[in-house]
Parts: sequence; C-alpha cells; structure tokens
Amino acid sequence: MDDPRLARFEAVYRETFGQITAYAVRRCDSPQDAADIVAETFTIAWRRMDELPPGKEATLWLYGVARNVLANHRRGEIRRQARSVELDVEMVDLYGAAPDTGVELTAIAEVFRSLPDDDRELLSLVAWEGLDRRQIATALGVSRNAVRIRLHRARRRFSRALVEAGVHLTPESRLLPAGRSL
Amino acid sequence: MKHIDEIETMMRPLARVAPGRSGGSPSGAGARTLLASITSEDPGTAVATPRRVQRYGPRRLVLGLAAAAVVATGIVVDPSLLRNGHSVSAAYAVTKDSDGIVYIQVRDFRDAAGLRKRLRELGVPAIVDHVPQGQMCRGPRATPMEDIPSGLYSVPENIPGERNGWQMRIDTKLFEPGQTFVWTITDLPGGGSSTSTILMKDPVAPCVLVPDDTPKMKEADSKVRRATRKGGSLAGYRVDEKTVGEVLPEIEKRGLKAVYLIMAIPPGNPGGFGELRTQEKPVGKDWVVWEAEDVTSGVVRLLVTDKRYDKNPVYGGPRDNVIRD
Repeated sequence: MDDPRLARFEAVYRETFGQITAYAVRRCDSPQDAADIVAETFTIAWRRMDELPPGKEATLWLYGVARNVLANHRRGEIRRQARSVELDVEMVDLYGAAPDTGVELTAIAEVFRSLPDDDRELLSLVAWEGLDRRQIATALGVSRNAVRIRLHRARRRFSRALVEAGVHLTPESRLLPAGRSL
Repeated sequence: MKHIDEIETMMRPLARVAPGRSGGSPSGAGARTLLASITSEDPGTAVATPRRVQRYGPRRLVLGLAAAAVVATGIVVDPSLLRNGHSVSAAYAVTKDSDGIVYIQVRDFRDAAGLRKRLRELGVPAIVDHVPQGQMCRGPRATPMEDIPSGLYSVPENIPGERNGWQMRIDTKLFEPGQTFVWTITDLPGGGSSTSTILMKDPVAPCVLVPDDTPKMKEADSKVRRATRKGGSLAGYRVDEKTVGEVLPEIEKRGLKAVYLIMAIPPGNPGGFGELRTQEKPVGKDWVVWEAEDVTSGVVRLLVTDKRYDKNPVYGGPRDNVIRD
C-alpha cells in the first residue's frame, strides 16, 4: 500500500513510540492501563492525521492527546480494546524495574499523589518528559504565560504539601544539577 | 532542562521509566501488532462519528470580535448601589480579623487617599484613585494578573439594610509579593460612582487623568453578553482556556448555575464554531472552557469543548488579542 498517509503515520509511530509508552508507564499504576493509553493515543493520532503537526511538534501534540486519553481513562470512559492487549507484555517489562525506593522517596511519592491532577501533570512534564515551558504550552494548548503561572503554583503547592507531611529534605537528597543557581 | 527546579529534580527518581529513557521499542512484537491493528482501520469512517452535526459558521466569531469594543475593567459595582443620598456614619470602614481577612465597607468615595492609607495599614497592597466624571486614568497602568487566587477577594455586594455603599472581603494571606490591588473610583453622570478593583503586577503607574474616550458600552447582540464583562456575573474572573473543573468552584462561589454549550469546531480550528447543543447535564471536569455568557439572572452558559485546541475558537486566537478586561 503506497499510501503517504500510512507512511507518515508509521514514521511518527516509530519516532515517538518510546516516548509515549514512557509517558503512559510513568503515569499508570498497571501495565494494562498503560497499554490502553498508548493504544488509544495512537488510534486517535491515526484518525486525526490531518491535525498532526510536522517534526518534533508531533511528540508534543501526542503528549496532549495522551493527556486527554489518560483523563478519560481515569473517569472510566475508555473500555479495554482487544488491540491494547497486544502491548501488555511489553509494558509489564517496563514495570519490572521499580523506581528507587526508600522511606524518603516513598513519602515524596505519597505527597505527590495527593496533588491535584493538573499540578502533577505539569510537574511531570518538566521533571519526567524534560519539556520546557514553550513545549508544555504547545502540548497542552495554553499560553506560555499560563504555563509559567500554573507551574509556579504547582511547585508552591507541592512544597507546602511536603512541609505539611513533614518531609524534610537533607542536602544530599536534593541531587542538584551542576551549574544551577538557587 | 534550563527551567528545571529543585522540585522537579526531587521528582525525577519517582519516574518508573527514568527521565530521558525510552519506554517500549517500536520494533517489539506487541508494538508492531498494534501498529498493524490501528492502520487497518479506515481513518475516514472513524472521524465521521463525532462530527455528525456540522453547523459551523462565522456567526459566533463575529460576535466575539464585536465585543472588543467593550473595555471591561475588573469588578464594577452597579452605580445604583453607590448613589450618595443619605448622610452615613463613616466614609469607609476597614477592619481585619485574626485570620488576615480584611472587611471593607465603603459609603463615600471621595476620600481615596484615606482609604488607601487604611488598606495599606491592614496589609492590603492597594492603590486607590478617585476620578472625576468624564475622565479616566491613562492606561495601561500595569499588567493585570491573569490568574487571581481563588478566595483572594469577594465580589462587592450590598451592605445589608443600607441603600448606599458596598462591602467586600479580602484575604490578605493570598497576596503575593509584586501584586497591587488597583482601585479606581469614578464619578458617573447622575451622581453615582463606580469602583473597579483590578489585581495588577507591579510596577503600577500613577493615575494620570485624561479625558475618557473609551468607546461606550455596546455589543453586537444584546442577547449574548460575556459574563466576565464589567458588571457581568463573572466580572473580574477569567474563564478562557481553563478547565471546567477550574471554573466551577468560582461559579458556585458566586451562587450561579452553569449550563454548557457544546461547541463544534471545524476541521483545522480556523476560528469560529458551531453549536452542537446546550445542556444542563455536567460535562467532564477536564473539558475546556473558552468563554462564558450571561443567559438569565443567575445562569451562566459556558462555551466548552471536550479537548484543548491550539487556539481559542471563539476569538480565532488568544482572547487577549480581542478582549481587554
């Protein structure tokens, strides 16, 4: 099938599959849920190929789609489809290597989970996907200024929640990147 | 990673797939089966379902652009509330309780300097200016804050049992450094006054009086009125680009009821939209609000879509390009 649409989709799929699966696995508690998110996200992308932007922006656009899919999934609006089962095994592998654990990290993770959904998403896009403000603005379809303000608020709420939960960070645990001024 | 903060650095070890690492491989068996399954679907038929009602057109966009003539400014109290007639006990009363909540009652609007001093004493970073009829402060004096913290201040309301004056409450704990409450008290023809209260970013320029040449209030269609305009039910509050979940608490706080206009967005979102339906049934909290309109007293219609678009369909781009609040 010499379909340019198909060729483009396959290229985008190859290019972004690793990032989108990582996105889903970082946010879902079970491999099955992650498989659902990935399958639904790419299904929507295939249906909306006309809207898919070129180049690197495609990844940001897919993050935006995945974000909506995730929200729908949490509301129980997405039913398991046969096609996502195919991915289960691969997703399970990603769940095998648990993130670092420790009393302090567990406490931080607990506080993080208590934050509003939008806060968690913004902080995650920075910390886990490594996006800057412009990229987040593109992915979420909001202005950069809105991202700046919301991110500021999310950080503040997280800090406060950590203090309230009695999580005090020792200097060694801060893992400050080199060259960063506080 | 230039913007990364300490918070995010701390979060990095929480990621199940380490930041910078890839998740699954597209060449794995599952990934290839999924790809084949998705692309075996005819994309054309799949798209048809959500777009079955197509009533697109520029109508609403025209309304949005026409509304640009209206210059809305934060909260403005109905001048009928403010008419001076009776002598009253005090020009204003400002008190603060132990929780940092400041209560303000204003009955006479001429002593701007005194009111400003009193507010500052009680921790409200306010600038108060009094503007004679037919004049205005030369704008813009500062950039208005985009997102005002929920609960920072209440909508001005009547003082119970009195015909004149208004009252409001301000939570001084919610002010952040670099913010100033800019109050402008303007005399109106007929003896009333209006007060606009806008939270702005420092620095705020002093009020330089100039003739008031702002276009008079006019809207293309009197049946459609933005709820966020001055005097509207959501005056002083921005709804555009927020989620339904973010906007609803403000609507409830103001004692309003929401109905939802489900928008139909043409392919490519060129600006403008159609109306699928208007419903009372709540939509998902993650739906996106693009504008709010006053329907009848106490009812606000939210213009919503089930997902985010790259630009505001009501205005064909950022609302700020069209509307100045």
